Amino acid sequence: MSNVIVNRVKEFLKGFPPFSFLSSELLEVVAREVELMYYTQGEYIFMKGDPAKPHFFLLKEGSVYLTDEDAGKMVVKDYCDEGEVFGVLALLGQRPYVLNGYVAEDSLLYAVPVETFDKILKENSEVSLYFAAGFAAGQVVVRTDLSQSQKARKLLRDPSSDHGLSLFMEKGKLNFPTEVLTCTADIPISQAARMMQKQEVGSIVIVDELAFPMGIITDKDLRNRMVAAELPYHSPVSAIMTQPVRTIQKGSDFPVIYLTMIKHRLHHLILTEDGTDQSKITGIISDHDVFLSHGNSPAVLIHGLLNTWEINEIKAIRNRAEGLLGYFLENEVAIDFVASIMTEINDVIIRRLIELAKKDLDGEYPEVCDTPFCFLSLGSEGRQEQMLRTDLDNALVFGELPAKQMPQAKAYFEKLGQQIVLLLESCGFSPCPQDLMVSNPAWCQPLSVWKNYFTNWIHRPDESSLLHATIFFDYRPVYGERSLAESLTDHVYQVIDKQKSFLNFMAKNALQNPPPLGFFKNFIVEKSGEHQDRFDIKQRAMMPLADAARLLILSHRVMGINNTFQRYMKLAELEPANAEIYREAGSAYEIFLRLRALEGISSGNSGRYISPRSLGKLQRQLLKNAFAPIHQIQELLALRFQTNMIPG
Amino acid sequence: MSWFELFKKRPIKSAMVKRYEALFASGIAKKTLLTELTFVVVDTETTGLDIKQDHILAFGGVKIIKQRIIIETSREHYLVSKKKSASSIKIHEIIQPKNPLPIREFVRGLLPYLSNDIFVAHHAGFDLGMLEKVCKPFGLRRILNPIVDTGDLAMRLEHGIQYDPSRINLQDYSLDKLCERYNIKVEDRHTAAGDAFLTAQLLLKLLKLAEKRGIKTYGDLMRW
Repeated sequence: MSNVIVNRVKEFLKGFPPFSFLSSELLEVVAREVELMYYTQGEYIFMKGDPAKPHFFLLKEGSVYLTDEDAGKMVVKDYCDEGEVFGVLALLGQRPYVLNGYVAEDSLLYAVPVETFDKILKENSEVSLYFAAGFAAGQVVVRTDLSQSQKARKLLRDPSSDHGLSLFMEKGKLNFPTEVLTCTADIPISQAARMMQKQEVGSIVIVDELAFPMGIITDKDLRNRMVAAELPYHSPVSAIMTQPVRTIQKGSDFPVIYLTMIKHRLHHLILTEDGTDQSKITGIISDHDVFLSHGNSPAVLIHGLLNTWEINEIKAIRNRAEGLLGYFLENEVAIDFVASIMTEINDVIIRRLIELAKKDLDGEYPEVCDTPFCFLSLGSEGRQEQMLRTDLDNALVFGELPAKQMPQAKAYFEKLGQQIVLLLESCGFSPCPQDLMVSNPAWCQPLSVWKNYFTNWIHRPDESSLLHATIFFDYRPVYGERSLAESLTDHVYQVIDKQKSFLNFMAKNALQNPPPLGFFKNFIVEKSGEHQDRFDIKQRAMMPLADAARLLILSHRVMGINNTFQRYMKLAELEPANAEIYREAGSAYEIFLRLRALEGISSGNSGRYISPRSLGKLQRQLLKNAFAPIHQIQELLALRFQTNMIPG
Repeated sequence: MSWFELFKKRPIKSAMVKRYEALFASGIAKKTLLTELTFVVVDTETTGLDIKQDHILAFGGVKIIKQRIIIETSREHYLVSKKKSASSIKIHEIIQPKNPLPIREFVRGLLPYLSNDIFVAHHAGFDLGMLEKVCKPFGLRRILNPIVDTGDLAMRLEHGIQYDPSRINLQDYSLDKLCERYNIKVEDRHTAAGDAFLTAQLLLKLLKLAEKRGIKTYGDLMRW
């Protein structure tokens, strides 16, 4: 029979993984068998080398450091706070302790007998996975297998976070034009077609003298009832229009509109003041609009983008893509897939906006507007990793021209660049704070100038060159003449071949930010023991991995792989001896990318700064495990590129 | 007073009482280290504060063996009760005891549970009196376990062994105040088992403090 004391213990256990995965019955078995101990500051719970005790520990309150000795000095290897499980090697391997359990603050601990837990490990796959994934503290010395971590995360995720329903359309998201293209019944079909072309719409409504709707002509009618029927162009529109038209009262609810269209198999539905065809037109809904509002599937979004020139609509679609992103992330869709979808959507938007900008501008520069050029995405967008609309980094390279045309071409591309960035910003993208964008004339240059830029960066690897290198070396052609980007790449490799020391400088640069050690209470803990209350996931976790991947892939002269995750997969293939480290690094990068995107979505910003306070125990452990490969990769770089030989 | 009346006043020792008393043939060695001792920490919820008039409604207990609270040893019993006092119901919210134990059953379990461990309670005298009273009909005259009162122990540790009880504000040594002072999260207060658990946590912390004050053995603890 349970009692108040057992229940109290049970309540506590329930709050922390892996106990949180146990059923109420199993939890009670465990609660009944634990023992509560008290240690005061300065005591040792166990010493390195001691034979494993028959129980592991769960910290109830206080704090414990897992320490090692280095030349007689205490080095903290891991910090444990409330709810932390440690001393599990006893449970897993029956090996002696590899670290000391030092009590940093007076602590109450539960000792959980191994015997009790052995049974549970066998019965409960989640709990065994939890330990296999290395989530317990003090397992830092064992190489953690992040694939287990990821598997664990999928399995252990909160079932309440399923937002499957968010994919379905909610009321009020249906967008449709309220300005409807109309004409009278007597005008020739050719004139109506020209009106449609000018307005870029697929339909025109035929109205009577009171401007009430009589009929409609769509693209399909032009094909089927005129061209195929060999009707002359000057026939009146009344000859091919569909009539009468279906109308519905303005302001009708989406389900009513949707059902009306389905029931009558309509492609277009006209909204009028009173819902009859004897009143004024207030809007027109096409099946395309319904299709778009219906679901946030990638295909629908891309289709939507390809069918609009409206900035507001492009922006709205990009906003919806973010909803899709959130759904994918929460449902553990593979991150490389998610990233490629988001990249595709961003690329389509960029292409669309470039065309829009060109349309506006080409008339002013007839002689140079056909000069071949290539729009390059840089930085995270270049690496196909930009999921949220964080800052824009891009550049434009154009083909060589006779000297006398150059000034005009320069003026054209600078103006085009400014226009493109303006459009991107109005679609919700943030400008680059360092102004690494095509709107900056410096980054809107002919190929020869670009080659010089790269040559200079490689020959003079100072701080600013290396900063530029980290962003510009990840360029990826998004629009225009790819051959321009390719010849730039050839050039870069030629220069690096002659100036190999550049790679050593890049390595030095990639080692600037060592990963933190882990978490303690609401802080992130540095290797130096310093505590920070928020964590720059971009600078401290993602950049070191992205920088290392770029450098290593450059050193292998691999072209065309920009994605950090894919770079690590490629490296694993190229260097079988280090395959495991590379795969771990790739997995770690995936974890950071996902976490950052989730953080960004939930807090409505770039997700760059993560407060440990906002993370659950499991997420902290996952994050901590993902720091380990950064450290390994940095050691590999230091050794391979002899970074200790580089001054500064 | 006839011999018959005398006999009536002193019930015959039952077998369970004899077994209990036999446990005390030899005491705990004075030199036993604090870290090796076994304590049985108890609390009773009663109908009131008068040992003569009132009786036990609920009993809670848990043991500390070698400085660990062993959850498996936790006990919580509700006793069959004839009368109920409105005031205690108000405090303890015991209205319908779950699975109430007849007195005989309770005592039959209690004595082996107490065994010859060190008896610990907060304001131990009261719980001791209540438990002795409930055991009396079965021939028990006294609870023989060594007694530690967590209130007294805290005073001794905070004010030194020669403390003057008259100069101490007793209110500072209530279970609530001590839990506050020793950073013990107060949970399940005013349930017998809950208070026993709090008292056990308090004792765990006081024992560590005692060691720091040079109280290393059973003899030191009992001031022998």
